[in-house]
Parts: sequence; structure tokens; C-alpha cells
Amino acid sequence: MSARSFGSLFMVASCAGAALGCYLVSLRVASERASLEDVETRIVLAQRDMRMIQTEIGTRGRLSQLERWNAGAFSLSAPAANQFLEGSFQLAQMVAPQHQVDFQAPVVLAAAPAPEKPGPLEQASTDETGAPTAATPGGMLHQASLKTETREVPATTAITMSPTAATKSADKPVTAAKPAQHSSADKPGLAAAQLRPAKVAVAQKKTVDKPALGATKPMTKHVELAKNDPLLPVAAKHSGKAKDSPPAR
Amino acid sequence: MNAPQPALVAPRPERLRLVGQRRQLLAVMHQRLMFGMLVYAGLIALIALRILYLAAFGDHAGRKEGLTSFVPDRGDILDRDGQPLATTIDAWSIAIHPTKVIGDKLALAQRLAQLMPERSAEQYFAMLRSGKSFFYLRRRAAPELVEAVNAIGEPGLAIEREPDRLYPQTTLAASVVGFTGIDGHGGAGIERAFDDYLSNPDTRGKPLVSSISSRVQQALEAELGDAMQHFSAIGAAGVVMDVHTGEILAMTSLPTYNPNAPGQGTPEQHFNRATLGVFELGSTFKPFTLAMAMDSGVVSGPGQMYNCPQTLPAYGHIVHDTHPFGRQCSVAEIMMESSNIGMAQMADKLGKDRQKAWLKKMGFLDRVEIELKERGRPLTPGARWGPFETMTIGFGQGIAVAPLQLAMGYATLFDGGIYHPPTILKVGPDRPLAPGRRVFSEDTSYRMRSLLRLVVMKGTGRKADAPGYRVGGKTGTAQKLINGRYSNTINITSFAGVFPMDDPRYVIVVMLDEPKATKETYGFTTAGWNVAPVVSRTVSRIAPMLGVAPNMHREPNMSEVLPFVQEAHKQDAKKD
Repeated sequence: MSARSFGSLFMVASCAGAALGCYLVSLRVASERASLEDVETRIVLAQRDMRMIQTEIGTRGRLSQLERWNAGAFSLSAPAANQFLEGSFQLAQMVAPQHQVDFQAPVVLAAAPAPEKPGPLEQASTDETGAPTAATPGGMLHQASLKTETREVPATTAITMSPTAATKSADKPVTAAKPAQHSSADKPGLAAAQLRPAKVAVAQKKTVDKPALGATKPMTKHVELAKNDPLLPVAAKHSGKAKDSPPAR
Repeated sequence: MNAPQPALVAPRPERLRLVGQRRQLLAVMHQRLMFGMLVYAGLIALIALRILYLAAFGDHAGRKEGLTSFVPDRGDILDRDGQPLATTIDAWSIAIHPTKVIGDKLALAQRLAQLMPERSAEQYFAMLRSGKSFFYLRRRAAPELVEAVNAIGEPGLAIEREPDRLYPQTTLAASVVGFTGIDGHGGAGIERAFDDYLSNPDTRGKPLVSSISSRVQQALEAELGDAMQHFSAIGAAGVVMDVHTGEILAMTSLPTYNPNAPGQGTPEQHFNRATLGVFELGSTFKPFTLAMAMDSGVVSGPGQMYNCPQTLPAYGHIVHDTHPFGRQCSVAEIMMESSNIGMAQMADKLGKDRQKAWLKKMGFLDRVEIELKERGRPLTPGARWGPFETMTIGFGQGIAVAPLQLAMGYATLFDGGIYHPPTILKVGPDRPLAPGRRVFSEDTSYRMRSLLRLVVMKGTGRKADAPGYRVGGKTGTAQKLINGRYSNTINITSFAGVFPMDDPRYVIVVMLDEPKATKETYGFTTAGWNVAPVVSRTVSRIAPMLGVAPNMHREPNMSEVLPFVQEAHKQDAKKD
């Protein structure tokens, strides 16, 4: 009974509630929209400010002004034609080590697979006198030089080593090539062949060491004769590649 | 008790009438009520619909008009890399309403004279007492000045922000960009040519992208300005143009003016020598004559021989050479040493009608086709165009064209013979390149490459060579017409060059008006001595910017011309 009599009241109340709800939604939308517009306005004002600042910077740094500074204060001029490089390869070529030191190249015999090690070898010999960090490299070199009298021995060891050592040595010297100037420089030059050969040479090492340290220079001279047979083709290949590649690219 | 029987008591006739009236009245009322209700319902429905519509699509009351995106009062002009050449800023202006001044006018005048000393206190005082309603005191005022004027506190002083046109690069490309007058409309250059686009509210939001490259423009202006100063020339002009599209990358006319203060420029500075001025450009015309002759079959190739005597009498006149051959010479030598006598013979054989037709086809007989309004009309012999005039036009005398036209001619010649009208707007996705029209054959265009490279390698234009960039081109020294006579001492020197010559991409034309001899030029005022070095320096600077890689090992096919050049005789760059 009472519910039916209040029915209309409920109706009115629910209608009012719904209307209020709708209004609140629209109010909410309106306020969101207003804040959005506020942001838009701020963006436009920021754009205007940026434009002003850019204009000011552009005006202060105008090209005629820069030209005056370049010509007057800094004495800068446009690069000449020969200052341009054709690419990264040409740039790399400029810092590549020179080939002129090749007269010592035969020494590479011991480190046969390493392509360009004349520089490191020289350093290695000087370094050795100071402090041979790893005994193995010294041992190898000495053995080679020492055995020059009996030619067959170095030749055979080099050949037997090469198939296994060549693959390893090929990548090692490349990575180690950079620190060539440091005291560890002997490693790249010699280490290429050493790690494996070292074991072979361990037995001879002790006997070999002392005379080798004392007489590094004569050793290299002796080696020249011995090397010619096994090494030349390998060295020639490497040098040939290095020379061919620049024009090819 | 008993209610009167209706049957017994007859209703009075008035009463009956009354009932009928009431009923009628009720019906009418119902009708009116219904009508009123409908009207209200309709109105409410209308309002509701409107509200719904506004809620869905309309702007609400708090919305700020015009702030949703930034649109300048006048469109910007950008260079091809997006650097602004002209922009609009909000500047302060200071004005005064003399009738609204309430303070002491004398004191105000003195204070104003202190702050803005361009007028004296007496002048300010006279202004204040003039009774006029409005004066501008300063436009584009500095903020400190505005602050100081504001501090006076006089209500008669009006301080406002108003849009003002600013050219951030000042004089750079002034002759191309132009300027705006006090009314905000363009007075010259792009500002004038595209005034509608720049001021139309629909289009001004999008900046106008010109084909000018400000770095190339700066290099050209700087080098040309140096040469003009060094050789005390009265004027200079330069154009750098893309061969394949006809886009103008740089164009300058010196002396120039500052478009931020156009009123301070002299008429001489406002004169655009590159497009409006027409000049007899001399030998730079010779490649056209040769191309015409080769294309028409008059000349078979660079090896054809001509008789080149010391002087050539023709049609009652005598044609001279600065350095006569006095022997048989090949076409390659004629180009290399810029021989008038050889060229005159070629032009004579080509004939007047064919020459005219070619010039028409190349666009040399009409105003240059460009968007700018400052365009000069070429000067030709007109009715006097006879066989001798044909000869003189053959070597570049007797026809006057704008430097831009000359650049256009070279662009046509080295774009495989295809003509594209020069344009000041960037060619890109928004504005694709219109197909050009063929003028010269592709073969002629190709054969001209080695001939013009020869001029720079061994001929008169040696000083124009920029090592590694394969510049080819032609020098031109024309005597200036003064009071109806050709002067022997006053010249207009020009150089039209193309680089890189093995695959032409850019044309550069440089001109000096009345250069004077200096110690370094050994007294010569010919193009080989004064404008050719400008080209060399400019190309060395701009070629890397334009993506032309220097290469010492590339050249056009010089074996086409070198066999026809006698190396024995001395060559010097003293001639035009």
C-alpha cells in the first residue's frame, strides 16, 4: 500500500537522481575539456616562446656573423679537395702501419701466420732483454735461431705446427695487434706460434734460454737464411693481399 | 424535494444558450491549451536538441578562439633546409595620442627627447601641441625603452605589441626574399610575388619553402662581395642553380640592402641585377652559338677547322680578336681561346633566322620565366637584326640578358638539352618537377662538356678551376656601352660555370660590373682575372655542401677535344 502510494515519489527521485548523474558526467566532461584546452593553450604559448627564442638565436648566429668570426677570429677556411676521404676504409688506411719496415720481415718465420709483425718483432727483441714476461715466446725464437745450423729441424717444426697453430694465430695477432707498443708487445708477434709450440719446445727451453738472452741479434741474422724456404710463400700471400685490397675497394 | 423534472420545467432559452456557449468556450480553450502546449513542447524540444547538438559538436563558452594552433600574422619564408629567411615577431611600438595627454606637455617632451633622441624636445613639444590625434614615436622598440616610457605614466602614451616582419639573416638573399612595407605587404622579391599566399589566413600557417640554400647563398655573397670590393666594381651579381630542376640555390645582387630597414636602401641597392638588370655578357654566350651550330649541323664537331685570320672584315665592319690566331684553327681552339673571329663565322653560317629561332626556344627573347616580379626584358637588335648583328650575337655582343637567364641557358645546355624554367620554390614532394621541354639534343649537350672543361683546363678560364671539382665554363668580358659608344676601358666581366663537368649538376654564374685593374691582375680587367677566381673559391666552398665529392681522377671525356688543340702557342688568361 505504502509502496504504491510512494511510487510516484520514488519515480521522481530516481528521475532526479538519474538527471543529476547525467549532469555530473557532463560537468566532469566539461571540466576535462577545459583543462585540455588549458594545456593546448600552454602548448601554443610555448610554441610562440620557442619561436621567439629560435628567432633570437638565429638572428644572433646569422651566417654573416659566423662568416666574420670564421674569417677574422678563427681563421677558418673551407677544406681543400684533398682533405676529403672517400670512406672509412681510406681513413683506416691512414692509420695502418707502414710497410717500409719489411726488410726484417723474414724474421717472422717463427710466427709465420701473423701477417704484419715486423714492428712487434723488433720491439719484442728489445723487450725481451728487459723482462721476458712469458718464457715461451723467447724460447721459440731462440730455438729457431739456434737451430739454423741444422736447417731441417726448424723447417719441420714450423710445418707441423702450422696447420693447428695457423688457425689460432690468425685471429690472435689481429686482436692483439693494437697494444703492440706496450711491453706485452712480444705476445702478438710471437705468441701466435708460441702457445702450442711452447710445449714442444719446453724440453729445449732450459738449455736454450741462456745463450738466447745474451745473443738476440746474431740470432735474427741467422734466421734469414733458414726462413726462405718455408715462409716466403705465406708472407708473400699476406703482403700481396694487403697491397691488392686498397685499390679493389 | 423533488427535483424539477426536466421534462416539466422547460429550461429557459438564455440558459440553454449559456450551456452551448460554455461548451464552445471549453472547446476553444482546449484547443488553445493544446496549441500552447504544442508550442512549448516544440520550443523545449528545439532547445533540448540544440543543447544536445552543442554538447556533442559545439564549442563551449569558455573556449579561447584561435589558440588551438599557432598561426603567424604573415607566413614565414624558409630556405630549403628549413632555416627562416623571414619571420614575423611581436614587436613593441610606442605611440602618442596628443589629445589625451593630461600631464605637463613641456616636461613630457623633454623626457621623451631624453629617451628617444632622434627628435629634439622642441619637435616633441610641437607634436604634442599639434592637435592631431596620433603619432608613432618608435616602432620595433627595445624592451628597456618600452619599460622606461611606461614608467613615465602618461595615459596619452600608447604602448602596443604589433606584428613585425624580421629577417634574421639581415642582408642575406635580400634581393630574393624582398621586404615588406609599413602596411605589411611585400615590396619586392618573394614577399611581393607571394604576398597573397603569405597573408591569406588559410595558407599563412604553412611556411613558404624557397629553393635558396642559405649556406650556399652566404658563400656566394661573401666571395662576390670580397671581389667587388677588391676590384672596386660598382656592382655584382651571382646565381647558383640546379641543372636538373631549375631551382635557384643562391642568387644575389650587390650592393644590397637590409630588408629590416628597407627605407634606408638606395635605389641602386634595391635594383636586382640578377633578374631585372640586363647586360651584354659577351663571350659567355659563345657556347650557345656553338651548340646551336652543332645541333643544326653547321659544325660537325670540335675538330672542324676554320680560317682564323688576324682580323675578319665582314659586312662593312671588322671583327677583332684579342689574341688572334692568324692561322687555321679548330673549333676546340676557338672555344678555348674565345675567338670572336671563329665564332662570327659559325654564327654567319647558322644565319639570322635559325639563330632567332634558337634564341626564342632557349627563352632569351622573352622575360625570364620566374615567379619574382622583378624581371628584365632582354635587349636585342630588333629591326636592325642583320647578318652582322647575327655575327656579333654569336660572340655575345648586341644582345643583353639578365644573369639569371644566362644561368638558365647553361642549365638547359647541360641538363641533356632540356629546359626547365628557373624557380625560386623548392622542388619536392609538395611541388613535383614539371616536365621540361627539349631544346638541344642530348648528344650536343654531352659534347659541350669536354669543350667547356677545356676552357678551364687550358684556356681563358684557368683561374676558375677548383681542384677536384671538375669546373667547366666560359669567361666573358663585354665592353660597356657608355653614352652610345662601347668603352675600351670599362667592362662587364662574367663567368658561367658548370660543375662537376663529368656529370653536370650545378651552374654558377658570376658577374662584376665595372671592375678596376689591380696590381695582381697586371692591369687587366678581363674576366679571367677577376671573376674566374671568385668561381674557383665559391665552388670549393659550396661543392661539398651540395654533395659533390672532390675527385682528382675524374674528368669528362677529354680525348674528344684534346687532339684538336695545338699546344705550341702560348696561352694566357689575359683575354676574355
